[in-house]
Amino acid sequence: MSAILLIAVPLLAAFISILVKKVSPYLLLLVSLFALVYPFFMDMSDVIIGGFDSPIGINLVVNKFALTSLIAVNGLFFLVVAVNIAQYKKLSSILLVALAGLNGLLLTGDLFNLFVFIEISGIAAYLITTTNKKPLQTFNYLVAGTVGSSLYLLGLIILYNMSGTLNMADMATFVEGNGMYTLFPFLLMFIGLGVEAKLLPFNSWVKGILGHSNNLSGAMIASVYATAIALVFGKLLAGVFQIEGTLALIIALVLGITILAGEAMAYASTKAREILLYSSIAQAGIVILLFTVGLGAWATFFAIANGVSKFILFGVVNRLTEEVGSDEMDQLKGSFVNNKLIGVSFTVAALSILGLPLFFGFVVKMNSLIGFFEPDFVSNLPGGNFIFPIIILVASVIEGVYFVKLLTKLWYKDSDVKVNFTPLFKYVVVVLAVALIVFGLFQGEVEELVASLINPGGVFIWN
Amino acid sequence: MELSIEIFILATLAFGLMAYVIGRLHKQLGSIMTILGSLTIFGGIAYLGFTGGLTGETAYLTFTQFEISEFGLFFAIIVSFVFAMVSFFNPFFIKQYKYPALYSMLFMFSLAGAIGVFFSSNLLYLFFFFEFVVWTSLFLIPMGRSKKAASWYYGFSAAGSFMLLFAILMIYNANNGSFHISGIGSVTGTTQIIVFIFMSGAAFTKLGAFPLHIWLPKVLTNAPDPVSAVFSGGLEKLGAFVALLAIVNMGGIGFIIPSIDMYFGQMIIATLGALTIVFGTLMAIRQDDAKKLLAYSSMSNGGYILVGFSMLTSQGVAGGLYHIVAHAIASTAAFLAIAAVARVAGTTKMKELGGIIHKMPVTYMVYLIAIISMAGIPPMGGFISKWMIFQAVIDKGMIFIAIATVFGSIGSFLYVFRPLAALFLGQELPQFKKTVKEAPFFMLLPMIILSLLSVYTGVLPGVIIDFINKIFVDMQLNYNIVMNGFAIEGYTSGIEGVGPSLLNPLLIACVFGVGVFVAFLIFIVLKKSKKIDLMDTYTAGNFVYTEEHLHYSVDFYAPLERLYEKYIHIMKNFYKSLANKVREFGAFMKYFFFTNKPEITVFWIVALMVFLLWGDVL
Repeated sequence: MSAILLIAVPLLAAFISILVKKVSPYLLLLVSLFALVYPFFMDMSDVIIGGFDSPIGINLVVNKFALTSLIAVNGLFFLVVAVNIAQYKKLSSILLVALAGLNGLLLTGDLFNLFVFIEISGIAAYLITTTNKKPLQTFNYLVAGTVGSSLYLLGLIILYNMSGTLNMADMATFVEGNGMYTLFPFLLMFIGLGVEAKLLPFNSWVKGILGHSNNLSGAMIASVYATAIALVFGKLLAGVFQIEGTLALIIALVLGITILAGEAMAYASTKAREILLYSSIAQAGIVILLFTVGLGAWATFFAIANGVSKFILFGVVNRLTEEVGSDEMDQLKGSFVNNKLIGVSFTVAALSILGLPLFFGFVVKMNSLIGFFEPDFVSNLPGGNFIFPIIILVASVIEGVYFVKLLTKLWYKDSDVKVNFTPLFKYVVVVLAVALIVFGLFQGEVEELVASLINPGGVFIWN
Repeated sequence: MELSIEIFILATLAFGLMAYVIGRLHKQLGSIMTILGSLTIFGGIAYLGFTGGLTGETAYLTFTQFEISEFGLFFAIIVSFVFAMVSFFNPFFIKQYKYPALYSMLFMFSLAGAIGVFFSSNLLYLFFFFEFVVWTSLFLIPMGRSKKAASWYYGFSAAGSFMLLFAILMIYNANNGSFHISGIGSVTGTTQIIVFIFMSGAAFTKLGAFPLHIWLPKVLTNAPDPVSAVFSGGLEKLGAFVALLAIVNMGGIGFIIPSIDMYFGQMIIATLGALTIVFGTLMAIRQDDAKKLLAYSSMSNGGYILVGFSMLTSQGVAGGLYHIVAHAIASTAAFLAIAAVARVAGTTKMKELGGIIHKMPVTYMVYLIAIISMAGIPPMGGFISKWMIFQAVIDKGMIFIAIATVFGSIGSFLYVFRPLAALFLGQELPQFKKTVKEAPFFMLLPMIILSLLSVYTGVLPGVIIDFINKIFVDMQLNYNIVMNGFAIEGYTSGIEGVGPSLLNPLLIACVFGVGVFVAFLIFIVLKKSKKIDLMDTYTAGNFVYTEEHLHYSVDFYAPLERLYEKYIHIMKNFYKSLANKVREFGAFMKYFFFTNKPEITVFWIVALMVFLLWGDVL
């Protein structure tokens, strides 16, 4: 069975759901479950569309990287939908479009096709964020997102003009011979994707969107979209872009500032959602950094671990905010005293982000750092092998301090905040927290999984 | 009998889980599990360790490797002993905690982590356990008085453990991708210096040494009382462990300073250690809270360990190791004694307490013995270790360091006797007449054991010196301490040959005993002191109603304090303003990049492009 169904079925369902509004939520659930399960059974072969072989035609690349990404993103998508659909039935069709767009992003092997999917998933994202009831913020997001994708398109046009190909693998071989000419278009594409991937200074939309997010939009944008965009960006950085010279310097600067400023901004915030959103900016920076320096296999899992944690964190905080009426830390204090199960899961997710042992986050963070120190590792970013590990570690310290502050406030202050979580939400959150622990405990198995992503040549994208 | 160390780690974790499950059903029973658990672990490790029955094979935790080293065993026995002693206090304190079952579990988990650190031969998993201790102990702290202490603790601990991680990764890089612990010794050149700096940094943070000490008094003051004892006697020693790996194991770092024949690295560590002693002492002198006072004393004792290690001679290192034992015993006992008082009196502020000895004589004795050891007075363990450290420093001819160590010892006379006088002695306050009772037997038991050990280590150092010699052999160090009967006769070292160094603790103890006996005789013979009522106080002809302000422990050393009170907050303010700078940087970035206007984003993008297109940058 072909991977194209992952894009076609949600799109078809989206059309059907407009016709039969009543069953649309069920259709959405069914299709997103299908999208989660289907990758396990699909053929591991590239899909060629329209009978034109690549590099002429559009192709979908199905490899282990795509498979891992699909399972993670679709899994998170399904959980977000399952938990929240009762509240947001009207969005079913839009969410189906979003699913098609996200799957397309992860599968496509064509640069222009990628642009199309960015737009599709982007439009769905703008519509999802309208549920925040902050039209101005959504409008800002729309403007920023459009500028970003236009820049991406501009860069792509220049590249197409030079190389005559849009196929990613083909482009990669072209770039190898003509590195220095491609720097400018790459920069344009980098900025374009950087808008969606929340890199500083292109990410002003994040505050408006995630700072006012609700149960659905928070988890959807911070967890599902962030993971998908990070992985796609990573695919381009590791597989197509060639980063050298001034471009490397700019990217190094952007990433370094993104990571440190993200943590500092989170440290300077007092609202729970703001803390989480700035923290996710820093995390996005780290993931993109890992892809850039060629530690893509661990970056993949870094993004996934982060997505899972962010699902729990944003899910819980948004629910708390809805009930308490404010996301100021001082208002939320003591929230976990009466909600221990949720509290423990939240704590596990936070500790996993901090990279503390026993949790998934430790495995990915440690192995990513070890990657920098492998004897044969040579950094392609200026600053050598040592600057970026130090940046990551310094960021982790700042991150730790504000997360610990948040956790102690939520756990140890006395209060009578009593928030009702639906049993389904509780169940999902606990299962995810347990998953974080299980992946953290069986590190050997995780390492094997990651090793299988890397082919003997060291490049993990095009195998 | 042979058992693998991983069995002990898993058993500790299992005890922790059991303590949690049982603790959910019944608070006290859960905490009794911590007693059983930590006693079993301590007994098992000590017994098997001494009989050679411990192995490092891994059947379950296959991702890591363990090796049984003498120094690992040394630390594991001390720390698990401290945990075992403190655990007796848990059932009596468990009701005060917000999450009693969680407390019992995390108590055991942090012990498991500590054991893991001491026996890991894989540096990455040494770090794994190190971090594990950090987060398990982290959630114990906010169950006490202040919630803020936890974030201070995490900030410093994370900085320390990431320094350790960075050093480990440098070692990994230099040793062709091997994480084995022996790699610490085989790094060379610049890498060696970097590894040394970062590992020492980790040791300093964990030990609470200057300038990374701010967390220590905060945590020890605000954590629940038994947890303070665990930190001071047990978990702080993780820092000493890392210090041993870094400072002693790596040997001299940097260039040799010819005039004193010492390495630059040694000099730096010794100086910082000495500063730790001095600052800890000066800060302890001015505290009113007994726990805070002991916390600063803990800090200053950490300085002694560092100074001892940094000498890199038989006596210095042996003194440092001996001080780990002596201080673990004494500070645990002191913190437990204060905890016992706090349990019944509800405060640890000295000016609010007084005359507790009338109701708690045993606790008083325990505290007395503990502080004698901490002040380095014979016949307690602290005397021997401090003596050896003094000698090592003086042998090296380091005058200023020697002055600092002596200053620390004299200073500790000034401060450790203040709680003794203020808390225990003096008139019995009326509000405690009815409420205060002597601690129950199971609280007295560990305190008495610790006191006896304090005396034992001060009179008969043979067993511990033997152990230290074994550590030297195990670490392939050229150090040795020669015992002759009960006396420390001398030391041999690769560098300085056989040196004279005579210390006969038994004899000293006998002389001391005679002195005490004479004093006792005088006490018996002379007439008894007159008992007066508490309110029998007049000043300038007025009757005093607020006697707390005239409590003689208030502003006791005011003239001395005035000399330096302007400068005490320098380091704290430094870290506070560092945190503020981070916050300001964050606020600045927010102001510039996170406005509600999309045109700002577009502006930044365009500005970046224009900058890059300006004259062929790309």
